[in-house]
Amino acid sequence: MREIRAVHRKSPAGILVVAGTMALLVALALGLAPGAWAQGKTLNLSMLAGFKEDVLRANLPDFEKKTGIKVAVDAAPLGELYKKQLLALSTGARYDVLFMDEPWIPALSEFLSPLDERVKGVDMQDFVPTTVAAGAFQGKQYALPVDPNVQILIYRKDLFAQKGLKPPATWEELLKIGKAMHDPAKQQYGFVLTASNDLQTINYMLLAMWSYGAEIVDSQMRGALNSEAGKKGGEVFLELVSLAPPAVKTYTFADVNKAIQLGQAVMGVQWASGAKPLEDKSRSEVAGKLGYAVAPKGTRVSPMRGVWTIAIAKSSPNQDAAWEFAKWLSSREFGMASTRYPSAISAIHSPRVSVLSDPGTQQALPYAPVLLDSLRVAKERPRLKEYADIQDSLRIIAGKLTAGELKLDAALREMDAATNKMLGK
Amino acid sequence: MGSVQSRRWFLVPGVIFLLVIDMVPLVYSLWVSFYQWWLVRPRDIRFLGLGNYLSLAADPAFRRSILVTCTLTFGAVLAEFLAGLALALLFAQPFRFLRPLRAVIMMPLFVVPVVGATMWRLILHPEMGVLNYYLGLIGLGNPQWLADPTMAMCALILVDAWRTIPFMFLVMLAGLETLPAELFEAARVDGASWLQAFRFITLPLLTYIMLVAVLIRGMDVFREFDIVFVLTGGGPGTATETMQMLNYRVFGLGHMGQANAIGVVTLILVALMCYLLIRVVQRSR
Repeated sequence: MREIRAVHRKSPAGILVVAGTMALLVALALGLAPGAWAQGKTLNLSMLAGFKEDVLRANLPDFEKKTGIKVAVDAAPLGELYKKQLLALSTGARYDVLFMDEPWIPALSEFLSPLDERVKGVDMQDFVPTTVAAGAFQGKQYALPVDPNVQILIYRKDLFAQKGLKPPATWEELLKIGKAMHDPAKQQYGFVLTASNDLQTINYMLLAMWSYGAEIVDSQMRGALNSEAGKKGGEVFLELVSLAPPAVKTYTFADVNKAIQLGQAVMGVQWASGAKPLEDKSRSEVAGKLGYAVAPKGTRVSPMRGVWTIAIAKSSPNQDAAWEFAKWLSSREFGMASTRYPSAISAIHSPRVSVLSDPGTQQALPYAPVLLDSLRVAKERPRLKEYADIQDSLRIIAGKLTAGELKLDAALREMDAATNKMLGK
Repeated sequence: MGSVQSRRWFLVPGVIFLLVIDMVPLVYSLWVSFYQWWLVRPRDIRFLGLGNYLSLAADPAFRRSILVTCTLTFGAVLAEFLAGLALALLFAQPFRFLRPLRAVIMMPLFVVPVVGATMWRLILHPEMGVLNYYLGLIGLGNPQWLADPTMAMCALILVDAWRTIPFMFLVMLAGLETLPAELFEAARVDGASWLQAFRFITLPLLTYIMLVAVLIRGMDVFREFDIVFVLTGGGPGTATETMQMLNYRVFGLGHMGQANAIGVVTLILVALMCYLLIRVVQRSR
């Protein structure tokens, strides 16, 4: 016995083998117990405040119970979220995970962890392909899709049925119907959109311009909206403004919803995110009377895509826990829960085909089939680091156009000049 | 009692506090304004010298924002000054029934600016707003307060005036109450009218206080942000985009050099305005 002890005492290799084996066993045990390694970890999440935050908060206990990872939510309104994330990430992130709109990913990619290796373990086939692209930049995947958003056409199904009309497939058809049903004396307006210097205004203008083939930048990376296609789209946009309620020049995203809910608008384009409250009987006079369709085409169908994604800060010390959270937030499990969340205003949809085409989802969200169809043909905004700057300039110029400070030709010229300035051309 | 020399040491904590609170951020801001520093490209920070200032000088949006800021400052201060003075003159009269109304007049001063602006946004809403409802009842149509460029500026001036007329009123009333009653009695004995007494006694004696009040409010309105942000966001178009709104926009996009340059220019303009007003104040004494 003494000899054996002596041998052991004198054999460092034996000690290493024993220690290594024990370490391996511990590692295996931790690996086999889901989330055990993450017990006690807290993730800081930067989140959009309001109607997406509450769905998340309602479902967070499930994630925390399953993984042992706590999530501290720091929510900010849409207008402040990009500023907050940019400032936080560029000055040594206080966030581990960030819920971000897809146009921000190129600008913030420098501060995000590439996920290419990690996504190999995820079933990406179930995602609508365009939503996966929303999280990528220059060939690298920086974020997973969580909440797919896209512009959709909303129309008064009841009024259309009375007149025997079909939902318009082209802008010409839409304008014709809109003009025929525009009756300000009865507070019934042909179309609703925003025409203020709100961000949505330039998104509406781009929807029309894109549909005629215009692009923000050409292949030479120069501003390209000042074209025949851009002009045609701009004219359609101004015609839409003329069919809108008189206060449209102060409208925001919420005002568009309000006009539809009050039954003032015969048609409108809205992000799918805004559609759920329209079907709430306690808030909407037209609940159950609305129809949904893919946004009309000019020469092509190109509704704007705006997928909310989840990304991991490069500086986060909790990369694995953050990845667990990102996986959960983009999972089918969360998608099924969020699309059925019993709230009239909350809306996180799912980027997964299996969720959006599920009969239960389509019953809960009547616009789900249109959301799915629109996502398949949706157009992304240019994937440029400078896009936030370009978008802000275009927003201001679109506001000047609708306020009458600029004519369409001058606005298009100014838009291209602003884009070229941002891109250093 | 220590010597004058030793007593000066008591100033040190105050000087250090002032340096840390005021001078360090100011110098840092000035230093950053000489650089091209975009948060999106943290490895591309370059010294530009006066580059940011030159690009601001060449930027029509910036020049326009100065004009908008000056228009708002002039309009708001003028409205507040006239209304504040008129109310102070009224409340300086010996009417007992006016006393309780003083508290009512002061109320807007206690409202948080953002809350007040949000409330006014609702009041001025063309469809849901109570103001347009009553204007409609008396046949004055449906003015687009925040959608028309000129009316949006008027709305900003109106809301700013609503919030700070009480301040002007309070300062002017305090000034009026310090004026010697004998002068007015003598004027009355000499047969001076109310207008003459105002022109030749009240105005000259109140000038100093008026100018101080205008100086304080001028500085405030020049740096006004919350009301503009909530009510118009700088729109319609760029009709109400003040220097502070532009600064907020540029800062929000992460252009630290440009944003700090706008801040420095604002500081210079406010300082210049103060200098001119202080010269006028000193002359009035």
